[in-house]
Amino acid sequence: MGIFGTASERQHPQPPGRADELGEIELPDQDGAQHRLGDYWKDGPAVLVWLRHYG
Amino acid sequence: MQLHRERETVEEAGAKLVLIGQATPRHAAHFRRRQEIDLPVLADEKRASYRAAGAKVATLNELLGPKVAAKGLVSSIRFRQPQGRTIGHPAQLGGAMIIRPDGSVAWSHMSEDASDNASPAEILAALRDV
Repeated sequence: MGIFGTASERQHPQPPGRADELGEIELPDQDGAQHRLGDYWKDGPAVLVWLRHYG
Repeated sequence: MQLHRERETVEEAGAKLVLIGQATPRHAAHFRRRQEIDLPVLADEKRASYRAAGAKVATLNELLGPKVAAKGLVSSIRFRQPQGRTIGHPAQLGGAMIIRPDGSVAWSHMSEDASDNASPAEILAALRDV
C-alpha cells in the first residue's frame, strides 16, 4: 500500500454479474436508520451510486 | 456526481436512486446538506458495499495524476463546486450500477481512476434499456 492508502499496483474494477452479496448488506442513512440494500430493487430496478468520498 | 439532480427522471423510469458514501452517518448528513440532496445518503464506513460492487482502490497516478487533476479542475469550474475535504479512504474509487428486481446487474460503470465517472446522461440511457 502506498501514500494515501493508494494501491501499489493497478487494480481493475470487478463488478459482479449478480447483486446477491450486495443485497444482504445493511447500511445506516444520514439519520442512523438502517437500510437493506436488496430492498431497493425488490419491486423495480435501482440505480446505486458509490461516491468516491463525501468531500 | 450530479445524478441526484435527476432524481425525478430516475423515478419516472420506475427506478430508485441510492447514494452510498464511505464514512459515518454524521458525515453523510453534512454532505447531504452541503450538496442540497433530497434523498437518503447511506454511510458505508467499512466499505463493505464498495468491495461487493467490485470498486477498486486507486494507485497514486490514478488518484492525483495529470489527467485526473485536469478533469477535476474542469469539473470544479463547470459545477462551481470545489472539492471539499476528503472524508474516508482517500484512494477508494466509486462507481454506479443498475440492478434489476431479480438481482442481476443490468449495467455498471465502476471508476478506473478518480476522474472516471459515468455521466447522469449515460446512467439514464442505460436505465431506459432495462
